[in-house]
Amino acid sequence: MVSRIESPLDRNIFGAAYAGARRRLGGEPVVLDAEEQAALKGTGLLSLSGHSLDEVCRIALLVRTSECLPPEDYSSFISELYIRGDNFERQALLRGLTYLPDPEQFLSTAIEACRTSVQLIFEAIACDNPYPFRYFPELNYNQMVLKALFIGSPLARLVGLEERITPELVRMAEDYATERQAAGRPVPEDIPLFITNDLGARNEAF
Amino acid sequence: MKLFDPHIHMTSRPTSDYQAMADAGISAIVEPSFWLGQPRTHVGTFEDYFLSLLGWERFRASQFGISHFCTLSINPKEANSPSIAQGVLDLLPRYLEKDGVVAVGEIGFDDQTDAEEHLFAEPLKLAMEFELPVLIHTPHRDKKRGTARSLELVRRVGFPEQRVLIDHNNEETLPMVLETNCWAGHSIYPDTKMDELRMVALIQTYGSDRIIINSAADWGVSDPFKVPKTVEAMYEAGLDEKTIQTVVWDNPVAFFGQSERLDLDRDPIDQSQLWEGNSVLRGQEPVVES
Repeated sequence: MVSRIESPLDRNIFGAAYAGARRRLGGEPVVLDAEEQAALKGTGLLSLSGHSLDEVCRIALLVRTSECLPPEDYSSFISELYIRGDNFERQALLRGLTYLPDPEQFLSTAIEACRTSVQLIFEAIACDNPYPFRYFPELNYNQMVLKALFIGSPLARLVGLEERITPELVRMAEDYATERQAAGRPVPEDIPLFITNDLGARNEAF
Repeated sequence: MKLFDPHIHMTSRPTSDYQAMADAGISAIVEPSFWLGQPRTHVGTFEDYFLSLLGWERFRASQFGISHFCTLSINPKEANSPSIAQGVLDLLPRYLEKDGVVAVGEIGFDDQTDAEEHLFAEPLKLAMEFELPVLIHTPHRDKKRGTARSLELVRRVGFPEQRVLIDHNNEETLPMVLETNCWAGHSIYPDTKMDELRMVALIQTYGSDRIIINSAADWGVSDPFKVPKTVEAMYEAGLDEKTIQTVVWDNPVAFFGQSERLDLDRDPIDQSQLWEGNSVLRGQEPVVES
């Protein structure tokens, strides 16, 4: 599938391959044996664990297209692909962003993804993904943390959170806690751990 | 008692809701333009949405004796799509003059970005120019700060506070709003925002002056009967009839009446009518009031 993607890029061939990947390959998680893991280690290539087969294929397609398009066209190509994608297409794109050239150029797509009302898409960018930690400005990072608390995505899955905690973010979390208390509603258990910067304890508990 | 639901997204509701709402005593509604669960990718989609709020939705409501009004603007969430947002802003002057538009909104903050502030201030200025009230959404996240920033922006732009409705208030933001001359809306929701009993407690504490309630029912798990259900809760708590009527009728009428377009004299129901060839009926006998 990936080898059919050539320069100059035929967007119809790419679009069909990208859209059909899940139907053709299925969404089973990729499982590597010890030898395969050893071979991958230290190559700097995509760590396959935690990704599904269709997702790995889609990310490979994205990496390949970056070699087939002029660099100045690539960010609009990615943003258009996001806009036209279904949930799983978007999920793969977001989880693949850090493997693509100059990831910072996709910042607006990544921030837009945090505005979704689909938990799968929100978690594709917010959870187990180093992108926000590396590239989000403070305001967008803070809003993402608040949204994770709001919709119940565990903070332990936010990569690098400990290093992005600021007094402003703690203030936002504290305000959210008092708002919940004033409404007579339970405070998410991540908030006190977060305020005391003790999410490590939670990680160990799980 | 006639009821007013001043914030409900009927586009997302089936026609049977209109029938049941009318049966529950709701006789006027305001439908703010908002986001549709996923971002729109063309300015033209907004224009068609505005046209449906001014056309098909008004017709559908009228078929059940409900007076339908709307508020138009780009919403805070989609304010962050720069290519779309400016195009929608450019459309507004052509639409704000239309019959049935009783305010500019929903505007306000979502993530509280600079882009949102711009797309909040510009429609505010348009509302001044068109002498309309504004409906201001307050954010789900970092709500207190977002409410304070909204009130501050209203002051900075010099917009008359008595023409501002700050919506989705809770225990912490309501006192902030009542310190100003703005009106305070409350969305009664099944699980988030505000519920019936908490609302009763707020009215017992703060009275009914400038207090408004709505269902904010939309495409999510929400309930278009929250206004009548809150009326019931208010009666059960022993609130007097005058207070209840102030909250669910007099206040929204007074607030949106400032547009001078809130025409509540409705025509008799005539379900034999068609809208561009379409009926809301599916084989039922048309109701025709004399």
